[in-house]
Amino acid sequence: MDANDRSNVNLGMSSAVDPNLQTAATSDLESHHAKPAIPPVALEPGAPTDVDLMLQIQTGDADALSQLYDRYHGIVKALILRIIHNDTEADDLLQEVFMEIWNQAKNFSAQKGKPLGWMVTLTRRRAIDALRKKQAYARAEERLQAAPEQQPVAWVENVTEKEIEAGDTRVLMTKMINSLPEAQQQVIELAFFQGMSQREIAFHTNIPLGTVKTRLELGLKKMHDGLKELKDEL
Amino acid sequence: MNFEEFQNSARLYVIGALEPEELQDFEAARKQYGSAGEDFINQCYGLHEAFALSLKPAKASDAIKNKLMAMVRERQDQSGAARP
Repeated sequence: MDANDRSNVNLGMSSAVDPNLQTAATSDLESHHAKPAIPPVALEPGAPTDVDLMLQIQTGDADALSQLYDRYHGIVKALILRIIHNDTEADDLLQEVFMEIWNQAKNFSAQKGKPLGWMVTLTRRRAIDALRKKQAYARAEERLQAAPEQQPVAWVENVTEKEIEAGDTRVLMTKMINSLPEAQQQVIELAFFQGMSQREIAFHTNIPLGTVKTRLELGLKKMHDGLKELKDEL
Repeated sequence: MNFEEFQNSARLYVIGALEPEELQDFEAARKQYGSAGEDFINQCYGLHEAFALSLKPAKASDAIKNKLMAMVRERQDQSGAARP
């Protein structure tokens, strides 16, 4: 897909995952991620770690997949829903994603990263691919055009004081995202959750391409720096 | 491309937001920076987890899990082996 083709994706004309996304996602399934700043979920004493479960899945242990599903299906479905905005399709895709986790488990390497990062990358790739194949992209665009000012708020749900006191992972991540200017949240939202390229974002928002690039770079750098600080503190 | 520019591009790369012409420059710089570049790219994937973990977990029906596990066990039976 060349640059002109990519600009047309915004019009819902493409059914393929863009090569840039696919390259990043594919390489990620084989190479890997940074360690998360904090444990993504609280585990009961004696419970197998995520890596333990992945290693068991690699040996064909279906019960390990069942446990991994119980642990992460909520996060995986939330990510799918954030991308495709349809509960029924999200359930179908949730099942497909965990089936792919089962089938692709052999590609996971504990030395190269954490299971959740691997699963998130896999999920995002599948969801964006599904979004484009079903041309739901156009519908999402209509929704965005109808309420563009609501997008950043919709991404980061309000949290209660109780949740803040609990200091759980979601609240920490939410606070970090909330600390970004809304303009930066918006372009990151469109890039990460809608799979848009910079040109597509510029077309969609009527923001100059250079401004989109700057906002993306600044927002992602702040997020990245924030994650490093969290990791240092914990 | 200096290393700071490479870092900016790496963050765009991991979320699939690099334009094709930028991707070529990025891949060239990636070779130039070698293991330091790869280490940084791996760090950037932490952004994926952060975005996912910012979302409120969504509920799925029990039927989804039951169907998934039935498919897995059926595949195991078909292959006749324990490995997926």
